Amino acid sequence: MKTILQAKNVNKTFGTKGNQYTALNNINLSIEEGEFVGIMGPSGAGKSTLLNIFSTIDTPTSGEIIIDGHNIVTMNEEKLSDFRRNKLGFIFQDYNLLDTLTVKENILLPLALSKVPAAEIEQRVQEIADTFGIREILDKYPYHISGGQKQRAAASRAIVANPSLILADEPTGALDSKSATRLLESLSALNQANRSTIMMVTHDANAASYCKRVIFINDGRLFMELRKGDLSRKQFFGQILEVLATLGGEEHDAV
Amino acid sequence: MTLFKIAGKNIRNNFKNYFLYFASMIFSIVIYFTFVSLKYDHTIQSASDGSPKISSAFSGAAVVLIIFVAIFIWYSNSFFTRKRKKEVGLYSLLGVRKKQIGRMLFYENFLMGVLALLVGIALGTVLSRLFVMLLMNVMGYDAMPDFGISPAAILNTITVFLIITLITSVQGYRLIYRFKLIELFRADQEREKEPRSSVWIALLSVLLVGFGYWLALQNMLTSEAWKTIGVLVTPLVILVSVILGTYLLFNTLTVTLLKLARKRKRSYWRGLNLIGTSQLLYRMKGNARTLTIIAVLSATTLTAVGTAYSLYYNNRINVALANPNSYMFIGGDKAAVNKANQAIEQASGHKVIYHESVPLLEVDADITGLGQTTGSNEQTFTVISNHTFNKLAKLQGRNDVFSLQGSDAAVLEPGYMKGISPAYEGSTILLTGKGIHEKIHFTALKTYNVLNLGTVYSTLVVSDDLFAALQPKAKTMTAQAYEITHQDKAKELTKQLETILPETAGLASFYSDYARGMESTGLMIFMGGFLGLVFLAATGSIIYFKQLTEASSDKARYLILHKIGVKKSEIRKSVAKQVLFVFALPLAAGIAHCAVALSALSNLMMTSLVVPVVSCMGIYIGIYLVYYFLTVNSYYKIVTNVK
Repeated sequence: MKTILQAKNVNKTFGTKGNQYTALNNINLSIEEGEFVGIMGPSGAGKSTLLNIFSTIDTPTSGEIIIDGHNIVTMNEEKLSDFRRNKLGFIFQDYNLLDTLTVKENILLPLALSKVPAAEIEQRVQEIADTFGIREILDKYPYHISGGQKQRAAASRAIVANPSLILADEPTGALDSKSATRLLESLSALNQANRSTIMMVTHDANAASYCKRVIFINDGRLFMELRKGDLSRKQFFGQILEVLATLGGEEHDAV
Repeated sequence: MTLFKIAGKNIRNNFKNYFLYFASMIFSIVIYFTFVSLKYDHTIQSASDGSPKISSAFSGAAVVLIIFVAIFIWYSNSFFTRKRKKEVGLYSLLGVRKKQIGRMLFYENFLMGVLALLVGIALGTVLSRLFVMLLMNVMGYDAMPDFGISPAAILNTITVFLIITLITSVQGYRLIYRFKLIELFRADQEREKEPRSSVWIALLSVLLVGFGYWLALQNMLTSEAWKTIGVLVTPLVILVSVILGTYLLFNTLTVTLLKLARKRKRSYWRGLNLIGTSQLLYRMKGNARTLTIIAVLSATTLTAVGTAYSLYYNNRINVALANPNSYMFIGGDKAAVNKANQAIEQASGHKVIYHESVPLLEVDADITGLGQTTGSNEQTFTVISNHTFNKLAKLQGRNDVFSLQGSDAAVLEPGYMKGISPAYEGSTILLTGKGIHEKIHFTALKTYNVLNLGTVYSTLVVSDDLFAALQPKAKTMTAQAYEITHQDKAKELTKQLETILPETAGLASFYSDYARGMESTGLMIFMGGFLGLVFLAATGSIIYFKQLTEASSDKARYLILHKIGVKKSEIRKSVAKQVLFVFALPLAAGIAHCAVALSALSNLMMTSLVVPVVSCMGIYIGIYLVYYFLTVNSYYKIVTNVK
């Protein structure tokens, strides 16, 4: 199986000498093609830092990160932009849809940036819209639709260009449970059907239970990992809660 | 920490934002100060022989300047206050009283005003010397000014600007009371609505502008439209029609065009066109008013400066048309003529190129044959012979040669206007007078004269035979015509001749007309130029501020774009395109309006204004471009500055 993401000895420290704070401490991690990986951990554990580094928005202090065969640590700014555009898809907690564009235009933006022909764009958008069930809101503007619809639109944008890796940062954070379930089911279905590789940072055990594998980090280190295997989602959810309990301080968030 | 100190700190920290406003304000103060100084200045007054023209011209210009500067400061000030809605909201939330916030804003604005005033006056005292020298230069004076600092000018400037600053400061204070806390926080979140557009209104805008243009380009004396609407009302109709059309153009036509662009998926769905077009579309309606103001201001500035420069530029041509000879006078008194002749021949620095004694006749005529509907049917003409004309024309470098026979005649009419002046060619008039009854027939028309206009009447050229026949009966005289080198510098000689020759000699000199023209058009170009620069600085600043506010509210959008992999170079390109649209639209409209206004003017003046107008536009566009690049740069910096 092909390895999509490979992180070797990734360290990240903030601050200057004498007042240093280690956000990530020697992280080693690999994600295979077609995986749906959840990253969990208490606040301040380094989840977001890790995601930012994988997103190429932030750079590690040391270590190596290879995504789809490209070492992103050595790339310059312009190349990184191209890389983000071609290889990565993002889903953010606060949607990050552009309010001057319709839902459809938001979704097709990555394709437009890559200068894909208009006919092909049209076809892609229709396919994706069906996957996420947002066909009827395509011509609306973001401020006319609900949070759940916004997040599904954002997810559509993330995958429209067939990225090697989809990075989701607390995608259900601002959604009610029904919308959250719908989004997670869509992502899960996408993962199953298209073998899309998804990495999702969350502190919601329910969201994490949709993943095939959950990695826990604490104080900037890998703490442990769980694989769903043949477990039902409910059983997996139970296991996740247990780990969170041992991590401590996260029970409240998990409920 | 006192409110005053906070205000000071705010200015220091916000100085980058304030800089352009500050600079524009200082510039306005410097110009105002210079104008007021010139009003009080004695050197110029004495150089212009005490003509009250300059002083009153500068007073008038100063008033225009005050009104404009007051509006500009008012606008920028409310702009800055609105921009800081959030900050004000935060203060409010922290429990600072509105009164205190208002006072803080008042102090801030007042401090800025006083600071600008101090710098402006300091710079003004230095620069106004330079400007006076410039003015003397364009007006053709060579007296070096001993230019002292006028306390009256300083006092005047301080008073005027303190009042403006006070008023705008109070305005800032009052603005706070009109805000509601919830609005203050939502300031940036207010959703801009998708603008509607109507094809009909878009069409109407084009029609309105077109109608205005058409009306302006009509010959104002012969046009039916002008007659119907009324000569005095028509310019107003043109103005209203064009301004309204421009507003609707920006308001609707641009939106319609942008929407059309959005329909063309192949180009719209390509790169950042998606972002640029949609953002422009959203902003266009809100911007329409500002863009209209800028277009109108640009048009006004360009037209005024263009006109002033055209007059200045054409001064020599016009003066040469009126004075084909450096000097011309009618010799009645032999002694005076000899003395004048001597003076001209001995003048240092000037050589005589030619000297001609020109025999003239003064003849009355019945001009019923010309078919003029207005005015008297009697007119006095100066008559010269075919031979004299040919000789003078050759001396003056013209290639025209007449060979008039019998009753054929030619008319020399430098002020000829097609459609207004009588159609001379083919018509017949009757020369009358004691013993004179000659029908003459016009076969030719020249739009220049070979005699100086100040000395003679409208001039006819008749055949040598007819001239000889008229000579014994008509009033005859001899005019002296001189051409000298360096005629535009003949100040001393001209003065001398003016004292030698009696009033009745009708001395017409190139120099005195030239100097008078330089004086008035120089004054115009000086004032037009500086007022134009102030207008330009202000319009540039207005667009700059407006774009920067938009940049701040676009920041989040560009951050998203950055995250999903848009390169900085692409962002820069997109920003440059968007800002170009906003800058180019009003400029294009302004230039178009100005071009129409000036071609109407050029029709009226019958001279080609292409060179002076194009050079004015070139300078204007050049400075405008500087503002454009400044804006693109700042915009780009704001939207790419992630943290």
